[in-house]
Amino acid sequence: MGRAMTVTILTFLISLLSVFSSEGLEDVEKKKVGDCLQCHGRPGIIKRFENGETIEAYVDIERLRRSAHKGLRCIDCHSDFSEERHPVSRFRSKEQFKIRMALICRRCHKCEEIKNASIHLNLTREESGGRPHPCTNCHGSHAVREVSRRTYGNEEQYCLNCHGHPLSLSFRNSETITFRIDLSELQTSVHRRLSCSDCHFGFSESQHPRRNFRGRREFSIANSETCRRCHFDKYSNTLESIHYTLLSQGNLNAPVCTDCHGFHSIQRLGKERILIARRCQKCHEGIYSIYANSVHGKALIDENNQDVPVCIDCHTAHNIKDPLTLDYREHIPDLCSNCHSNKVIMSKYGLSTDVVKTYLQSFHGVTLNLYRKQREEFGKPARLIAVCTDCHGTHNIISTRTIEPAFLKANLIKRCQQCHKDAPPRFSDSWLSHYKPSLSKAPLIFLIEWIYNIFTPILIGGILLQIFLHVWRYAVNR
Amino acid sequence: MEDIRIRRFSTLRIIEHWFHAIVFSVLVITGLTQKFYYLDISEYIIFHLGGIDYLRLIHRYTGLVFALMTFVHIFVALFGILSGRWGVTMKIEPKDFRDLIQNIKYYLGMEQYPAPCDRYSYRQKFEYWGVLTSAFIMIGTGLMLWFPIFFTRFLPGEFIPASQVMHANQGIVVFVIIALWHVYNSIFNPNIFPIDKTIFTGYISRERMLYEHPIELARMEGKELEEILREQRDLQYERILEES
Repeated sequence: MGRAMTVTILTFLISLLSVFSSEGLEDVEKKKVGDCLQCHGRPGIIKRFENGETIEAYVDIERLRRSAHKGLRCIDCHSDFSEERHPVSRFRSKEQFKIRMALICRRCHKCEEIKNASIHLNLTREESGGRPHPCTNCHGSHAVREVSRRTYGNEEQYCLNCHGHPLSLSFRNSETITFRIDLSELQTSVHRRLSCSDCHFGFSESQHPRRNFRGRREFSIANSETCRRCHFDKYSNTLESIHYTLLSQGNLNAPVCTDCHGFHSIQRLGKERILIARRCQKCHEGIYSIYANSVHGKALIDENNQDVPVCIDCHTAHNIKDPLTLDYREHIPDLCSNCHSNKVIMSKYGLSTDVVKTYLQSFHGVTLNLYRKQREEFGKPARLIAVCTDCHGTHNIISTRTIEPAFLKANLIKRCQQCHKDAPPRFSDSWLSHYKPSLSKAPLIFLIEWIYNIFTPILIGGILLQIFLHVWRYAVNR
Repeated sequence: MEDIRIRRFSTLRIIEHWFHAIVFSVLVITGLTQKFYYLDISEYIIFHLGGIDYLRLIHRYTGLVFALMTFVHIFVALFGILSGRWGVTMKIEPKDFRDLIQNIKYYLGMEQYPAPCDRYSYRQKFEYWGVLTSAFIMIGTGLMLWFPIFFTRFLPGEFIPASQVMHANQGIVVFVIIALWHVYNSIFNPNIFPIDKTIFTGYISRERMLYEHPIELARMEGKELEEILREQRDLQYERILEES
């Protein structure tokens, strides 16, 4: 009983002490904040604007205490107000209210001073262009603090404090871009674990260098340079590409990383192959529409078939070569063979995997391979020789199953005549259409092969037997 | 007796053989490299002859020379036969098949002596006709492969790949006949090793005639075949005695 009494008394004394100490602090503050907080220190006071928007006129004493302005009195900023005067102001909207309130800051923080921080440059420029950015958007009002990493949990919050609002950037050629970075976009991108300055190197809480671009395109190209800091392999691949060649020749329309991959909302490609084709379509609309009507494109678009080749399967993604070079042309059978020699893929569609092999064993295929080696090893100039695309087409490849055989034959001779100018209609029959000779396809050739396959071994065997017997008799006679 | 040399081939034949040896070698080298294009040695030859285009040109024009030589050979042969300068010595006769059977029996120990031969043995005739018929096939199919556009004007298109198959396979057949049969018979045959010089000098020793062409020798010397064969067997017997 006695022990319980002691605990109660001790608790009372401690709580009494704490009341005294906090009252002492509030005494000091009372001088500064006056009686304002008697009303504004309690939640529930609402200010309503003409357009129906509202704002809570509550001031959190704890946040005020931690603010950079903790030494100021309420009336130092709210100079219209005093213990005697509490004028009623009318504002059209919350925005107008914020802009007006932000003018208070400028009484102490002069324009010249603000401009010294490079981060404010664009903001003040836009302000003079009629688009004010209230200081409180970034710095807060009663809880005003120096904007720093300490204020914000992470860099995104810090940067988005400004860049989360629509900002516009103007260039020397008077182009402008307006952008607002959406946090949700950032969070769904593959780079969600990165901080802003990982890509925007040179920028930080303390640094916001002012850069001067001629136009939007130059700005995009310069920004895409950042990708190579991590993706150097891909970057060095692009140096061999036709896009880079065009860019280095001064064609600013040539695509850079961000044109295909995007920037803040960057996603992993490859899940949906149609998306890859669509990226190329942005610039290569004509070729895309031809491709879309081809056997490959139709399967991709109509059936969402993921086996068919999209642009990058033949052209590659990064080191895209000029497809009009001899070197590219000589590698075309390799490109087709990537799928058309693959038994797993071809068996799904009932297609033969012999097509590439029969081509490579044909006059054209053998010549092509030899030309390629001659050129690569001895630098000999090579002549053009028919490859897959010369008969089947490139982007406009169609299935031979859907065409009438007679029409197919008529088409084929036209392809032959591209090189063999005077070829008569029968000439196209000299190509066995990738079929291996059999009794049903090319029986004449099948029979000739068959006869030789029997006759030649018999001949060799007979000759060897005769030689053997002759030598044997000679040995026996001796 | 051993010193007697008999004229077997005229200068024309010697030159003809040289030509054929060279032309045939060029055709085989440039032809087999095209058939076995995937071998390293083929690539080496192709690249060192100036590339596949040059190799094909060499093959085609050498083929043309070969074709000309074949036709010249036939005309000369026909002219010789018709003018009576030489007999129809290359004609295949029933005797050749009997000779073949007798020789095989002899090799197997079922006959005491090999078949006596005339100017050309059945082996030489087989080789000659093998090469000559092959020559026609090679020339015909070769021309079709050289000028496919011309030939498909009046022949089915399928004839072109058929020509290719035939040209390649018949090429191997001729190559086998020459590389195995001819080279064995004129170089590695233990009776004449290291080399039969007759086609280069034009002369053959009487002793070899005695063994290899007894019928022709009998006709030349106006003797009976029996007499020549007796001489041959006596010589053989002397040799065995000498060696033992």
